[in-house]
Amino acid sequence: MKPELRKGSRSRILAGIVLAIATIFVFRLFYLQVIQHDHYVALAQAEQVKRDRLPASRGEIYALNGSTPVKLVMNETVYTVFIDPFVVNQSKEVDELRQVMKDVAGGNLLSTFEDSVNATDSRYQVIAKRVTRTQAEKIKEKHLKGVRFLAVSQRVYPEGQLAAQALGFVNADGVGNYGLEGYMNDELSGVDGKLETVTDVSDVPLTIGSGNIRIPAKDGKNIVTTIDRNIQSKAEQALADGIKRSNATDASVVVMDPNTGKVMAMANLPTYDPSKYYEVKDGAVFNNATISAPYEPGSDVKTYTMATAIDKGVAKATDTYNNTDYIKVDDRTISNATKGHTGVISFQTALTWSLNTGFVTLAQRLGNGTEITKTARDTMYQYFHDRFKLGQKTGIELANEAAGIIISPDDADGNAVRYSNMSFGQGLDATIIQVASGFSAIINGGNYYKPTIIAGSVNDDGVYMPNEAPQPIETGAVQASTSQQIKEMTHVARSGFAGIDKPGYYIGGKTGTSQVIRNGVYADDETIATYLGYGGSDIDHPEYVIMVSIHGDHKVLGGSVDAMPIFSEISNWLLDYLKIQPKG
Amino acid sequence: MSQNTNYYVSRRQQNWSRNQNTTRFQSAVKLGPVAHTVLVALMIIVLGLIYVTQATRTTGYDYEAQKIDNQISSYAEQKSELEVESARLTALETVKNSNVAKEMTTPASTQYVNE
Repeated sequence: MKPELRKGSRSRILAGIVLAIATIFVFRLFYLQVIQHDHYVALAQAEQVKRDRLPASRGEIYALNGSTPVKLVMNETVYTVFIDPFVVNQSKEVDELRQVMKDVAGGNLLSTFEDSVNATDSRYQVIAKRVTRTQAEKIKEKHLKGVRFLAVSQRVYPEGQLAAQALGFVNADGVGNYGLEGYMNDELSGVDGKLETVTDVSDVPLTIGSGNIRIPAKDGKNIVTTIDRNIQSKAEQALADGIKRSNATDASVVVMDPNTGKVMAMANLPTYDPSKYYEVKDGAVFNNATISAPYEPGSDVKTYTMATAIDKGVAKATDTYNNTDYIKVDDRTISNATKGHTGVISFQTALTWSLNTGFVTLAQRLGNGTEITKTARDTMYQYFHDRFKLGQKTGIELANEAAGIIISPDDADGNAVRYSNMSFGQGLDATIIQVASGFSAIINGGNYYKPTIIAGSVNDDGVYMPNEAPQPIETGAVQASTSQQIKEMTHVARSGFAGIDKPGYYIGGKTGTSQVIRNGVYADDETIATYLGYGGSDIDHPEYVIMVSIHGDHKVLGGSVDAMPIFSEISNWLLDYLKIQPKG
Repeated sequence: MSQNTNYYVSRRQQNWSRNQNTTRFQSAVKLGPVAHTVLVALMIIVLGLIYVTQATRTTGYDYEAQKIDNQISSYAEQKSELEVESARLTALETVKNSNVAKEMTTPASTQYVNE
C-alpha cells in the first residue's frame, strides 16, 4: 500500500512544523552569519587575534677613544616583578616568596613588599623593579604561583657620570630629556613594529588565517659623538680639582677643535648619574651650563674687540693710547680693574693687563675717534653678532640651548654706554659654547664652524660611518692677518705667566672675570672667573680651544688665579694626548 | 556473466582492425546510490583528515617557531648583558683602578723625532 500524506493528517502537520522550524533556523542563521557577519567576526578577532607592539631598540651613543668609537650609553633588559596577591596567598607560598625575593632581588625589592603581599583585594602589585635577567631566571626557577615578570629596556652607562649633561637621560616613558638624548630623541627612538596574529590560549602566534601582520621594528640610530672619553675624563677631573682648589661651587669647560668645530669635551660640575636621574633633588644639575646658561663673558670678549679693531684697520697691537685708568662715555665713567699702568701704553699692554680703557678706546676708534658713534656700534654688532655669532643659538645638537642676547644698535638700549661696556665683555649675554666657537673662528684664520657634537653613526653591522668633514658656515669672519695678530697678542698675554706651559708649544689665552648681576645690579662679592685660550705646535697650527669658567656663591674668583690653572692642566695633558710635536 | 548489447559501429569509427576481438566486458559489481553516497562521504572524510593533519602540522611548526623565537630573545638578552659587562670592564674608571694601571709610572721625559 502506498502511503500518502493526506490533507489534515498528523504526518502532514508534523512536516509543516519541521518546515517552519527549519525556516526559522535558516532565517536565524542568515541573520547571524550574513547580516551580523561583521559584528561576530570582530568579536572573534578580539578574542583570537593578538595585537602587539614590537618595540624598537633605542639607538646607542658612543664616544671616541682616539678615533675608535666606544659605547657610552647602552640598553639593557631588566624586569619588573609583580604578583597577584590573591593567588600568592591562596598558594600558601608567601614565606617562600619572601625568602626568594630577599635572597635574589636584594636591593631591587621594593620597601612596600609586605603591603603588596597583604593586599589580597588587589590582583596586581609590583614587588621589585630593575631586576636583571639572571635574577629573574633564578626567581622563575622556583615556579612560585602568582609571580609574573615584565621586561623593560633601560639605559646603561658603562662610564658612569661621564659627560652626563651632554648626554641627557631617558625617562620612565622612554623619552629623551636634555642633552643629546633630548635633541636627537626621534632619531634615537626608532620606529616600533606591529604584530597582529591569531594566537592560542597561551598567546603563541599561529599562522592560521590570512590577516596576520608582522611589521618589524626599525631600531633607533646609533650615534657617535665627537666627545673623546679620555679628554672628557681629564676635563672633569681638572674641573673637580679646580673647584676644590678655589673652594668654588660650580665650573664648566668646553674643549673643541677650532679647525672643525668638533667638541672634544664638554663638562659641568656638579653633575649627576644619568642612570639614577630620578634621585636628583635639584633639577638645575640637568642643565648643560656650557650651552644653556648665558652670562656676561667679561674680559674674554676683549679678544673680539681687538680682532674687530685690527680687522677694520683702526688699530694694531703696537699702537698706543693714553691710559689714565678712567675713561668717560657720555655721563658714565669707566675704570680699569687693574690700575697703575698709566701713561701712553700699547694695546698689547692693555690686553695683557686687561685694561678696560684700552678697549673702550678701540670702540671709539671704530667711530670718530672720540665717541662710540652709530657707525662704531654697527661695526661691533656686525662682528660680534653676525660674524662671531654671539647672542644666537649655535645649532649644536643638544637640547635646551640658549641664545643669549646682544642689544642691536638700532634698539633704544643699544647706545654708546652699552657698547662701551660690550667692548670689555659686559652688557651682553653669551654662552660658553658661543664664546669658544667665535674665538675658534678668530684664531683659525676666519672660518666659523658650527660647533658639533656628532661625529657619525654606527650601522647595523657595527661599522663606524663618520660624517663628512665639517665645512665652515662662514668664511672671512676676520682676515688671516687679523687672526695671526690675535694669536700673537694672546700668546704674549699668556707668556706673562711664567712656567705654566710645556716648553716648545704655542699657547695663548685671555683671562676673564665677570661680575654677577644680582637683583638687577652688579654684586661686589661674587664673580665668574673664566679663561679662554688655544694651543698647538706653532702659531699656524692651533689644535684646540679650551674655555673654562668657575664660580662660587658669594665668592670673588679671578680668571688668572682660579680659571687659568684648570686651562693649563687640561692644555698640558692635551699636548701629550694629541701627540702634538713641539716646534718652538 | 552479462554482455552488453552490441550496437553497430563502423570499424572506421572504432579504429579497429580486422580479426580483432570486438567484445567489451563490464564488471559484475554494481554500486547502488547508497554505496555511492558512502564512498563520497568516505572521500570527504579522508580529505578532511588530510586537511586537519596538515593544519595541525602547520600549527606544530608555529610552536617550534615560537620556541626558537624565545631562544633568540634569550640569547639576544645574554649578548646584550655581556656587551654591557664588557663595556664596564673596559670603562675608564675600571682601567684606572686596575692593578696594571697602578703599576704604571709617569715618564721622566718625552722625546720627539724631528719630522
